[in-house]
Parts: sequence; structure tokens; C-alpha cells
Amino acid sequence: MTLSNLRVVALQQSFIGIAAMGTAVLIISGNIDLSIGSIFGLCAVAAAMLAREFAAPIAILAAVVLGGLLGWFNGLLVWRIKISPIIVTLGSMAVLRGVVLLATGGFGVRGVPKEFKSFCQIELVGVAMPVFILISLALVAHLMLSQTTLGRHLYAIGGSRDTSQAVGIQVRRIVLGTFALNGLIVGLAGVLAASRLGSANAEIGVGYELNIITSVILGGVAFSGGEGNVLGVMLAVALLGIIDSGMVALGVDPHWTDIFKGGALILAVVLDQLTIEQQQRRRTRLAMKERE
Amino acid sequence: MQNQQTALVRLVDITKYFGGVRALHSVSLELYAGEITCLVGDNGAGKTTLVKILNGLHQPDLGEVWLGNTLVRHNSPQKSRQLGVETVHQHLSLCDNLGAAANVTLGQEPTRFRLGPLGFIGFRQSQSIARQRINDVGIELSDLDVPVRTLSGGQRQAIAIARATVHGHRLIMFDEPTAALGIAQTRATLELVRRVADQGMAVILISHNLDDIFAVADRIVALRLGEVSLDETLGSTNREKVVACMSGLSFTKEANSD
Repeated sequence: MTLSNLRVVALQQSFIGIAAMGTAVLIISGNIDLSIGSIFGLCAVAAAMLAREFAAPIAILAAVVLGGLLGWFNGLLVWRIKISPIIVTLGSMAVLRGVVLLATGGFGVRGVPKEFKSFCQIELVGVAMPVFILISLALVAHLMLSQTTLGRHLYAIGGSRDTSQAVGIQVRRIVLGTFALNGLIVGLAGVLAASRLGSANAEIGVGYELNIITSVILGGVAFSGGEGNVLGVMLAVALLGIIDSGMVALGVDPHWTDIFKGGALILAVVLDQLTIEQQQRRRTRLAMKERE
Repeated sequence: MQNQQTALVRLVDITKYFGGVRALHSVSLELYAGEITCLVGDNGAGKTTLVKILNGLHQPDLGEVWLGNTLVRHNSPQKSRQLGVETVHQHLSLCDNLGAAANVTLGQEPTRFRLGPLGFIGFRQSQSIARQRINDVGIELSDLDVPVRTLSGGQRQAIAIARATVHGHRLIMFDEPTAALGIAQTRATLELVRRVADQGMAVILISHNLDDIFAVADRIVALRLGEVSLDETLGSTNREKVVACMSGLSFTKEANSD
């Protein structure tokens, strides 16, 4: 694989990678938002439509803020409705995709000015804008998770929400904030993807929840929360990108892609389960020893 | 002797209703430094309500809660924690995915510096606080970063108690700490409870096990139907009396005539 190949893969995967940063933090805190593909799409479409009326920076900013609001609203629903966040956000996934279809009439957004596209073409220190944002976000997320009290509390909430509440952590504030942050970051990813294409269509982001969540779980974040780190997620994002382009390079039927990705996800979860079971056995042994 | 000191915690005529149900009626209680008060009572007697009033989760409808010289109005979990009240719960005490040091300092992490809303954890300080607290309750742990889910029940119990002592300087309440433990672990836990009291704190221990209670209590308080039915030092009471006051049934003539 050559350097220029690598740059192409990096750019292609940067949108999923950016979104995965937000979702990784959310899953570490023991939550999930399945509507990320729809938020991605809605923010992409919103940015393109707004760019027809306003200057590109305003359109981009407004669409990103919209993503944050959508995420926050999902968080409110999940907090208030005491059933699995999977079900609640499955609902918002459908609703938001419906909004995208209504807004676009099922077609692409036409007549987006050129300057909207140029935002994504800016290069910073020799890398494309989305790749630069991905790397910066990964650094910030890594520092936040591993060094700060907020990061510690996110792991704690993912480990045991009740314990966190009992020791006085502001669980509600942190969980709602995490949902909002996830929406914001996923929205940013969608906006960047639209900017790269110069526009957006009704199908943008469809199925991305699978790609994003696969990257996060494959990267070692426990779906039950409380475990995982940014480095693992970044490696998974890179791996999935290389599988994608590698299969194209090898001339494999592209229809195999989903089978590989889904298989990778199942494999990751199985390995995770086996580790947990092993730890359980270890603990049983210890407890038995102590009782003797 | 203890009556000459001022009480660390004083409840005066606490009454609490839940809808039409009377949970506590005119309960008064004084707790002293270094004293282990065992709270006993049948299910629904009001033990849990009393604990929740002390740690700020419930407000009494009538009566006063004094923490030292402070009359606590509009109590909240944050406020009671600030005033040095901590609870060790039977189940929701630890985050299994975090290490011992993280668990002991959870919610009270020392920070090196702050950057806007983000506080950067002082890991070394956190380790030394945790190490000291864990040693104080008499347990040796070599690695404070390994997830506590891999530790034994006794070690986990010690970590939960160590955490309570980080900010609990007035009152520590133990909610059935020995309910799920074997004989050796129960004895070790009761020793931990004694060690906490010896550090100069008031201790409430809720237990259903009379053996535990008579092994460790300085004072026994029985609740029955929301009222205090017994409040005596260990020396001046016996099992029959305690059981009689808990259940309202008299097993001996002695208990009856008391």
C-alpha cells in the first residue's frame, strides 16, 4: 500500500472515525444512540441546504449545533423513558431519517455554492481537513478519558450508574452532556462528508450506525460500558478502512464487505464475552480460597 | 462517660410519613464518637428511612437533624456528605471496572490542575490517599489499579469502607455489610467496622444477625413500627429483650415486666 493510497483510506475513514470518537465516549458511559446514522444524514443535508442561503461557515456551524441538540434530545428521552436506549433511539433513527427524506424529497440538495465544498479541501499541516479534525479529536478524547475527573466519572457511570450516583457524581448532567457531545461530533462528521461531496442526498449516512458502532466495539469498547480507550477505536477504524480498500484492490466482490464487517463485530463481542467469563471464574476461585 | 461528650449526631423527634403510611414516629437518637450503634428492627420498621434521613435522601416531616452544632435544614446527599456523613451500601458500593485507588477516591478525585471544566487527576496523590485509607482499615493490596472485580469479597468490602472514610469524618452507616459474607469474612468486616469507630467517628450498623450485633455493638437501638422500642448499651440488655422489642412479642416474663 502506497502513501497516496493511505491518504485516500484516511480521508474515506475520517468521517466514520470522527463519529466513532463521540460514540465511543457514549458507549463507555453505558449508553447507546442508534440514530447516529440519521443524525449524520440530517446534519449533512441541513448544512448543504443552509449553505444555499448563508455563508458556508454559518451553515456548517448551525448544522453542527443541530446535531448537538438532536443528541441532547435523545439523551433526554433515554433518561426519562426507563426502557433500553436501543429501543428509544431506534425510534429517533426512523424519525430523523424521515425528516431527511421529507426535506430533500428523496433527492440530492441542488445548487450548493462552491465555497461549501472548499471547506473540506483546506489542508492543515499537510493533511486534509477531516483527517486533521479526526486526529485532534482523538487526542482530546484520549486526554479527557484517561486524565480527567470527567473521564474517570464516565467510566464509573459505565461501570455502575447507581454507585456513581451514590458517591455524588452528577450522573444526569454527564449522561445528557455525553449524548449532546455525541450528536455534535456525529453532526460534524456528517457536515464534513457533505462538504467533501459538495452536497448531500437523502441516502447519506444510511447504515453508518453499523460502521460506527462496529469500529467502537471492535476497538475494544465494551458494549455494556466502562471499558475501552481511544487508541483501540482508532486502530479499528484504520483496520476497517484497510479491509475496505484492500478488498477493492484484490478485486473481491464488494458485496462481501458487510459480511466481513458484521463478522468482525461478532468476533469482537465473542472475545469480549470470553474474557468476562474468564474473569468470573478467577473471582470464583479467589472467593473459594478465601472461604477455606 | 459518653453522655458527657457532645453528640456527633442528634435526631430530635423525627417523624416521617409516606402518603398515609407512618414510617417514623417521634424518633430521637444521639450518636457519639467511637461508638457503634446497632440499628435493628423487623422489615418495614423504619431502619432504611432513618438512614435515608441521615444521608439526606429523605426529609423528615417533623423534627430536627443536628450534625454537630449544625441544625440541618433542607438536607441533601451533597450537604450531608459535606458534613461528614457517609453510607456503605450492601450492593451499590463499588465500580467493578475501576481499580481500588479510583474507587476509594471516586467523586472526590484530587486534581493536579484544571483546564476550564476539566480537572486533571493527580494520580500519585490519588494512589497515596487510597493506600493510606486501605491500610487504615487493615488490608494489604499490592496493586491499586487492577479492576476490583478481580478482587475477593473481603478486599472489596475493605475498599468500600476505605472510601467511606475518605470524607466521612462524622458518621458512617453500614447497611447490612455482612449479609452476603461467610464466617471468616464476617469477622473481618466487623473488625473493620470497629476500626472505623476507633478512628473517632460515630457508626451505625444495620444488621439482622444478632451474633454480629452482640459481637460488635456498644449500643443497640431497636425500631418497631417506626418508633424506638429499645435504646440501651450492650451491657444492660440481652438477646431476649432485643428480640422482644423488635417483634413486639414477649418471649420471657422478664422482657414483659421491663
